[in-house]
Amino acid sequence: MDKLVSAYSRPPHKDDFYSEQEQRDLTENLPPLSLKFDLPPIDDSRGFLRAMTDDHSNPNCPIKLAHGTTTLAFRFQGGIIVATDSRATAGNWIASQTVKKVIPVSRLSRGEDKVSPDVAVPGLLGTMAGGAADCQYWLRYLSQQCTLHEIRHKRRITVAAASKILANLTYAYKGYGLSMGTMLAGMTPQEGPALYYIDSDGTRLPGNLFCVGSGQTFAYGVLDANYKYDLTEQEALELGRRSILAAMHRDAYSGGFINLYHVKEEGWVHHGFDDMNPIFWKTKFEKGEFSNVPMAL
Amino acid sequence: MMSAMGHQSQNGTIGYSFGTPTTAPHKEHSFYPYTDNGGSTLGITGADFAILAGDTRSVAGYNINSRYSPKVFKIGGEDDTGDNAHIILSVVGFAADGHALKERLDAIVKMYKYQHGKPMSVRACAQRLSTILYQKRFFPYYVTAILAGLDEEGKGALYSYDPVGSYEREQCRAAGSAASLIMPFLDNQVSFKNQYIPGSGEGHDLQAKKKELLPMGTVEQLVKDAFTSAVERHIEVGDGLQMMVITKSGIEEKYFPLKKD
Amino acid sequence: MGGFDFSNYNRNNVLHAKGVPLPKATSTGTTIVGCVFDNGVVIAADTRATSGPIVADKNCEKLHYIAPKIWCAGAGTAADTEFTTALISSNIELHSLSTGRPPRVITCMTMLKQHLFRYQGHIGAYLVVAGVDPTGTGLYTVHAHGSTDKLPYVTMGSGSLAAMSVFESTWKPNLNREEAIALASEAIKAGIFNDLGSGSNVDVCVIENDKPTDLLRNYMKPNERGEKARNYRFEKGTTAWVSQKVVSKEDMRKYVTVEEVSGDPNLMEVDS
Repeated sequence: MDKLVSAYSRPPHKDDFYSEQEQRDLTENLPPLSLKFDLPPIDDSRGFLRAMTDDHSNPNCPIKLAHGTTTLAFRFQGGIIVATDSRATAGNWIASQTVKKVIPVSRLSRGEDKVSPDVAVPGLLGTMAGGAADCQYWLRYLSQQCTLHEIRHKRRITVAAASKILANLTYAYKGYGLSMGTMLAGMTPQEGPALYYIDSDGTRLPGNLFCVGSGQTFAYGVLDANYKYDLTEQEALELGRRSILAAMHRDAYSGGFINLYHVKEEGWVHHGFDDMNPIFWKTKFEKGEFSNVPMAL
Repeated sequence: MMSAMGHQSQNGTIGYSFGTPTTAPHKEHSFYPYTDNGGSTLGITGADFAILAGDTRSVAGYNINSRYSPKVFKIGGEDDTGDNAHIILSVVGFAADGHALKERLDAIVKMYKYQHGKPMSVRACAQRLSTILYQKRFFPYYVTAILAGLDEEGKGALYSYDPVGSYEREQCRAAGSAASLIMPFLDNQVSFKNQYIPGSGEGHDLQAKKKELLPMGTVEQLVKDAFTSAVERHIEVGDGLQMMVITKSGIEEKYFPLKKD
Repeated sequence: MGGFDFSNYNRNNVLHAKGVPLPKATSTGTTIVGCVFDNGVVIAADTRATSGPIVADKNCEKLHYIAPKIWCAGAGTAADTEFTTALISSNIELHSLSTGRPPRVITCMTMLKQHLFRYQGHIGAYLVVAGVDPTGTGLYTVHAHGSTDKLPYVTMGSGSLAAMSVFESTWKPNLNREEAIALASEAIKAGIFNDLGSGSNVDVCVIENDKPTDLLRNYMKPNERGEKARNYRFEKGTTAWVSQKVVSKEDMRKYVTVEEVSGDPNLMEVDS
């Protein structure tokens, strides 16, 4: 009888973790998606892509891709602030002033599940700098992986795990010409507030404070000078806004609208997508900053 | 001094040569599978309609390939007539890539209908087009696409793309060779950028003109004026204006002649 | 002796080698033609000037004066055709003053080719030289490198093939004035419609024996701009300003001459 029971019983939680197949899928270098990418029929496909699309080394390249710029995120006692500008440029051309550079990751946090604008939405936030298409596509891919994780394990993915999926991905494509600098922010019961920086070189860094994009230096200037972990929620939101404003003011490749998010324990809350212009003048007049901008003719 | 100069050049120690003309540093590739066929497209949405338009000239260098080569296509309609389509797509850039892209999206939208027994929503189609473009991330389609239709609520929907699939829903968008001429006009006349309400305040209290969706008649006039003006100043734009208007009663296609010089 | 300043030549070569693009000069695309007839010669040109794919001037003049009975149509770099023809025009005038005879077309052509050859094609002037002189009618083409041709009908510029196709299919010997003008303008129109570098209007210049030269500016206007569908007048006060300073008309008079004109002062002319 005992023999029979032991033959048919399984240890508890045996299926709670990844199966061997799943583990192989996760550790494999290239995701199966990679097989579907078309490559030009020549030996030096990377050189070809660079010659066609890299407007940095060749300003006359025929295909100008949209790029994103100036994003920041920092941890403080009340959670994580995520702020971005909204400008996309293709060469010297401003392709758009209304880009959403904060991308919600994971099924639960996508727009259709949203109940009301005041209620926090659970899930991660990703930011977009570098190639707009690369960020949009791979954050969506990450979203898919996070959703699968939720279904498999009946709990949300940690930021550490999610960021590792993305970093493994960018590392697998290293040298192919992807261009992305992204931050993942989220709060999970296991980690608390967590912030990671991932880029197309394969870098993955946990941290308290990051600025990414062509305007990063300007944003760091303001952010580093005024950052404290003990900031109140209002102070933290204002600092995020002010740092992005500084970058939009000085960096020609940043501008448009200020996109502000706050990641809390319950989830993330959107704090507006506001035109930089009135904010700039308000800052100048009410706080006396930007006194370098002359008023008189 | 003289001897030092002579010595240097004889041994070739100068980093660059003044004597021989040097070429630009980036490598020339003999594999060049793209041609810019010129032309321009534009799209504007309203409360219950969307308009996509494009000129019908196709060029190569200083030559005109065709004076009637459409850039706006119906997606998911009958094979020959395009009837029953509910999505429109415009492509500008390299015409062969544009055509391949249109064929691919058309096939996908049709297959969707057969498999699911209902037409594909514009939102789903927009996302699918993005992944189609991204599939060729390392060998891009040399096109700028604009997709239009009506969303689930019956409002006009317009999505614009870059060559590798980054996309955004917008109110209006110009693409192609004359985009830099048309887009500022659209920003001003459709989004009312830099327009303020006269007398609404002094200096910084001046109120910006409120955003509003334009009626169809106005939008059609703006499209025509955008193109007749682009024709004046851009050599690759001309010959004809093809316009598609999508409303809940279907797609209406219109053609207006443009200057042919 | 004057000449060109080459002091930046080496620097620019180094910059170009580092990938700095060259500045763009206006106009390379053009259609110009010339055709002889029984009593003289006619030359014609389109009126589009381009800078890359952008139309820089919709109604420019490509027919240049050399002497009362010698005119030149120019294609290539706009500044080069302008200054080269002006220089040769001056020299022709001085030459005819010192010889006391009317200038000859062949003299003009020789001066042009010698000037252009010396600069090895760096002066991007492609010209059609035409005129009448005591030796008869002359019609030549001069290329930027200094080569010349003498033919009964000639075309040059990016639209030269389109224009030549008209000549090759319809030209016949012993044309009269009206036929020659019609043929030349038809050739220009072929360039205007089939070559992207050419466009807008047709300019014609008729040079005849014993008659004053006829410059028919905008002889044909086959590309008039249509009416705009909407009116784009902005209401006064539409544009925001940061600060203002009012300068009275009286203050203005200290610096400039103020002239009152009739008409609605609110209207602004937007199109020529």
